[in-house]
Amino acid sequence: MSVFHIAARELRAVFTTATGWLVLCGWLLITGLFWVVMVQNYAMQSRDLVFNPYAAASLGFTDFLIAPFFGNCAVVLLMLTPAVTMRLFSEEFKQGTMELLLTSPISTLQIVLGKYLGALGFVLVLLALTLHFPLGLARWGRPDWGVVASGYLGLALLSSAVLALGLWFSSLTSNQLVALVLTFTTALGLLVLGWSSQDPADWIAQISIMSHLNDLFIGVVRLSDVVYCVAFTAFFLFATHQRMESFRWS
Amino acid sequence: MIRVEQLSKSYGPARAIDGLAFTVDSGEIVGFLGPNGAGKTTTMRILAGSLAATSGRALVGGVDVFERPRTVKAMVGYLPENPPLYTEMTVRQYLRFAARIKGTAAPDVAVEHTIDRVGLGVVAHRLIAHLSKGFRQRVGLAQALVHSPRVLILDEPSSGLDPEQRKGIRALVKALAVDEVTVILSTHVLPEVEALCDRVIIIHEGRIVAQDSVDALAGSGTAIRVRVARPAAEVADALNAVVGVLEVEPSVDGVYRVSASRDVREAVAAAAVPFGLLELGAQRRLEDVFLRLTGEAS
Repeated sequence: MSVFHIAARELRAVFTTATGWLVLCGWLLITGLFWVVMVQNYAMQSRDLVFNPYAAASLGFTDFLIAPFFGNCAVVLLMLTPAVTMRLFSEEFKQGTMELLLTSPISTLQIVLGKYLGALGFVLVLLALTLHFPLGLARWGRPDWGVVASGYLGLALLSSAVLALGLWFSSLTSNQLVALVLTFTTALGLLVLGWSSQDPADWIAQISIMSHLNDLFIGVVRLSDVVYCVAFTAFFLFATHQRMESFRWS
Repeated sequence: MIRVEQLSKSYGPARAIDGLAFTVDSGEIVGFLGPNGAGKTTTMRILAGSLAATSGRALVGGVDVFERPRTVKAMVGYLPENPPLYTEMTVRQYLRFAARIKGTAAPDVAVEHTIDRVGLGVVAHRLIAHLSKGFRQRVGLAQALVHSPRVLILDEPSSGLDPEQRKGIRALVKALAVDEVTVILSTHVLPEVEALCDRVIIIHEGRIVAQDSVDALAGSGTAIRVRVARPAAEVADALNAVVGVLEVEPSVDGVYRVSASRDVREAVAAAAVPFGLLELGAQRRLEDVFLRLTGEAS
């Protein structure tokens, strides 16, 4: 139960700070822009292909609109989630509120999980607020719901991994800006690593988050990709737990 | 209620506390005195469970703080020097959160009861960020009290408060002792210790230099302050001649500080009358004891 109370407080705190609303507005603005531009391009391309039925038949919603949209969302999420995680522990250290959590009859694991779930809850709200884009397509055609589902799974897994990473960096410093920069550069580094190799089987490409997500965005759910993200999350939650435990011994 | 045995804590090579040992009985109010950096906060944090000791044992209600921390934390309320407040919450929201993570059985009832008890009714709906220092301190105290702890640990509860607010906090702590709550508080304000505490533990450089009842500490070496209208060399001689007087220390404005082995007020008054006795009073000694003990040890 305590996990839930901590998560609920975190979620409420996000919505009572300017950062939370800025992230929310930024997210809606950028994803909205992406969507409008992409729909426009798609409409233009389909018009050009009016007299070419073979080409037009291969120009589906799913491949030309939904999958690239998820790819773009992933990059935006990567940039915004560090702003959500930076305050999680850093602010508690700075304000001295950590003392309340540390002297309450709850375990370190409950504190870490509560913070993580609170932040995850906020990002899931962000994701839910983009649902009307693919749902709206149903009016004009039949999008592949399987791809939509696996795309959202990919975005959720990505956020989960970056949130855990950010939570860990936040537990290392009382300076929110340091936590933000460390999380952002590490996450971006993991993204860029994927570009360094053309061969997807190359080990460098395997380290990158993005190479594990690309398939999810086009509707291929592979256990190895899901396990990568879950393991990534678990590792950094564990690291955060150890860091908080050592805090008592400092 | 509290038993501490050979408790030590090192931060790297620096020893914050070194072999502390003391006990506190149920319902007792004990004052922790000591200069800054003496190890008061470290000791309190260990008892509250937010810090692990390097060696030694601490038991609260017979339960070891390190072996079963969650059982102990449920029994202890802790107010750090800087109250741990989420300023973006209202007082009531904050206290509800605190009550829930502390595992209170009926959180909402406990919160309303605590709000009444600490006198936060008028600000309960306001954001903590907008409260004055005095009210924030009370919210911090409410947080420590909300789960009806049997032990209350207060780190400088009245620092930065005005005299009126101090009185309020003191009255609250006094009322707690009636309910058989054991209180440990640290403070710089000596009159507060005299007004509140049954017993004093003086810590200096991580060691206990004295622990006794307030009366015993304050009364050790009776001290008198005498003021005469015509200060002269003979005054000191006359006072020194009084049986029982150990030392006479002249000060400015015709004030003489007299230390004696027993109550010599009457005889000192008689000796001082020829020089125009203006004032005579027994000095509260806690401050002297405090300065002497912490000074001697260094």
